[in-house]
Amino acid sequence: MYFKYLIKRILNGLLIYIILIFIYSLLFNTTSDSTARYKIDEEIHQEISKLKNMPPAQVLAFIAERKSQKIKEYWLDKPFMYRVYYRTLKILCFDFGDSTIIRSSSGERKVAAIVSETIPRTIILFSTTILFEVAFALWLGLKKAQKAGKMLDKATSLLTMIVFGMPSWWLGMLMIMFFSYGIPIFPSGGLHSVPAPTGAIASLLDLIYHMMLPLLTLFIMGFWGMAFLTRNIVLGILQEDYIMAARARGIPEFKVLYGHTLRAAAPPITTMALLALLASIGGNIVFEGIFNWPGMGNLYWIALEQNDIPVLLGLLAVTTGIYQAGLVFLDLIYGFLDPRIKVGGKA
Amino acid sequence: MSAQDLTYWLKDFWNEFKKVPSGIIGVVILLLALAIVFFEHQILPFPDGNTRWRDITYWDDNPKSAPPVWTNIFRSKKLATSARLALGEKKMNAMEGLQCVEQTFDYDYQFDSPPLDIIIRVKGKSSVLLVIKLARPDNFGVELLQAQFDFLGDEEKRLSLDSDARKSLPDFLSQFAAPEAVRTIDPSTIVPTRVLFAKTQDILTNPQPLKGKYRFTVTAILMQEDSKIHDTSIVISGSTAGLLGTDSGKRDIFTGIIAGTKWALLLGILTALISVGIGVVYGVVSAYFGGVVDTIMSRVFEIFVSVPLLPVLIVMSAVFKPSIWVLILMMCCFFWTGPVKTVRSMALQLKEETYIEATRALGGSHLRLIFKHMVPILIPYSFASMALSVPSAIVYEATISLIGLGDATIVTWGQILHDALTGGAVLSSIWWWVIPPGLMISLMGMTFAFIGFAMDKILHPKLRTR
Repeated sequence: MYFKYLIKRILNGLLIYIILIFIYSLLFNTTSDSTARYKIDEEIHQEISKLKNMPPAQVLAFIAERKSQKIKEYWLDKPFMYRVYYRTLKILCFDFGDSTIIRSSSGERKVAAIVSETIPRTIILFSTTILFEVAFALWLGLKKAQKAGKMLDKATSLLTMIVFGMPSWWLGMLMIMFFSYGIPIFPSGGLHSVPAPTGAIASLLDLIYHMMLPLLTLFIMGFWGMAFLTRNIVLGILQEDYIMAARARGIPEFKVLYGHTLRAAAPPITTMALLALLASIGGNIVFEGIFNWPGMGNLYWIALEQNDIPVLLGLLAVTTGIYQAGLVFLDLIYGFLDPRIKVGGKA
Repeated sequence: MSAQDLTYWLKDFWNEFKKVPSGIIGVVILLLALAIVFFEHQILPFPDGNTRWRDITYWDDNPKSAPPVWTNIFRSKKLATSARLALGEKKMNAMEGLQCVEQTFDYDYQFDSPPLDIIIRVKGKSSVLLVIKLARPDNFGVELLQAQFDFLGDEEKRLSLDSDARKSLPDFLSQFAAPEAVRTIDPSTIVPTRVLFAKTQDILTNPQPLKGKYRFTVTAILMQEDSKIHDTSIVISGSTAGLLGTDSGKRDIFTGIIAGTKWALLLGILTALISVGIGVVYGVVSAYFGGVVDTIMSRVFEIFVSVPLLPVLIVMSAVFKPSIWVLILMMCCFFWTGPVKTVRSMALQLKEETYIEATRALGGSHLRLIFKHMVPILIPYSFASMALSVPSAIVYEATISLIGLGDATIVTWGQILHDALTGGAVLSSIWWWVIPPGLMISLMGMTFAFIGFAMDKILHPKLRTR
């Protein structure tokens, strides 16, 4: 049963991804066209500079010939829908073409290579943060739910609302201002010191040291909302009869909270954590640019600064893919934790 | 829902709302923000700052990266503040057959550190001989400038002490210091304001501030029949400026903050209203028709939910370079998904109510049923999500502006932060450039969060603690 649900959900996710990529290709068709044309001109220019001792008339003929050849090669002579279709297919095969300016750390110009080297860095930063946030939010949320309506609960709820509309990147700017330039205890950005330390342990410690400030910023911003949600979820469960029964049996409060309540709260809390991770991808990604953390978000900044459209579009396709995969994974894990879901039926 | 019902319901709602203190705080801050928007022209220290935010010449008289005026409270050495001197007296008299206009400006100098520069602006017509004098509290006078100006049309001349009055300084200085010492000093190394506002003792080696009343006299001798002079103004360009200081482009940050308020409110509220409106109608229509329509609409909904919002908005802004209105539209395209799920499930229940059945039996059209009987009942429930989507709209706009993709014709808080980031405010700790705009974004977010959560508490009583 679960297997069937799994296949269905994955196929559904793939379908949505294909549709989204198609929409992107449609939206950004004109831009892709002009980028392709620019690229053709650039390539022909390079070819000409290699030629020597050719009469001008012949050069012109050569240019015209190469141009028509290239235009065919890039499907630019085909009708509108063909081009959209062709680009959709290309992106779905993870072929994002070449960048115009940006190069990967190994000097490659393939967009796929440029983007793929940033993905792990983004994931390291955000998943570590989420881990800390969940751990702290669970503890705080349980405390809040236990004494709902008391001082601690009210104060933290108020703080939740106060940070509700605070942009994380702004807090990041403040943190850098105070902890990197005001009181210089943390580095202002980057992944490693220059020069990078040698040795596995030293390198790891250096990475952690550089991760501290962005991690701290994201943590301060993130855990309030999570604690608030945990509180609401746990509060609902604490009112269930089986919790009362467990308490009546004399099971210690600690066990009731961390055994009975948390097991029942696991599916929504897992969802919350994963959704927070997805939300950071969908809404927090520019944050990396402030700290020069060389992840996907920082690549958005660089691609915009250099006006590198192929990288930008490739990055968007990859981000959407990761986001979509995350949503599918979320449903799958939810079905795994809560057996009622996977049976299916109408939504 | 008739008007009477609505007022009754609103009264009821307000009575409930009053019981949530944070909600009241939210409403108060929101009203304050609205007041700022309405009285913007009275509040703005630079009235044209709204439209000429990126016009360098408009901000020319301000000091660069100056901290706010009130930081002087925490300083033992008070820095001169920027100010516009008021016109004291205006006298007309004739001199050797020529018309002569004499204007005086009083400056009360009570600081330990002199202003950076003093700027004199004069508008005139035809040929005018200008003589600018400074009378000091110790009764020493300086003739700062004497020059003839030919105004073309109704031109404005900008004279600054730093560039135009240097020549007069050696004469002034030689009254108090040994002429040899004065001669050995390169005139370009003297800072005019430092010596003009200094005690005569050790004026060259260690100038100490001379506090008291200074008087500038601008005498204009009209050389020709049609010569004229008007709109003379003197601006002190101090080391501190305005309520919130200035940025590295000499712009007054307080002006930017005030001018940004209306855009933040407008784009936040407009986006929330439109998108939640669409969402409610979408949910109701989906639930009302059911069957194939519902399936298709749910599919479309699913696609929109799967879009990573910020990356898509960034790439769309980069490619299409939208104005603020298009950006609002773009945000609406993705924000409407918020209330759909809850509204749809509520509409599914509502659909089965007897009064809906009765309307249908009486021959009410689909449109009537949806817009007259279902949407109005569900709208109040979306108020909370409406209030809560205002901050996210503001933050998204700020984020897009931060990357430098904002609408360049207006001022928003995000754009000020973008300038701060690119202008090195973080690096050189110009906190008055970084903190206020972000604080305003956070404050707006907090306001709407207060209101939204208060509404949520009232509309969904289940969440109340026992």
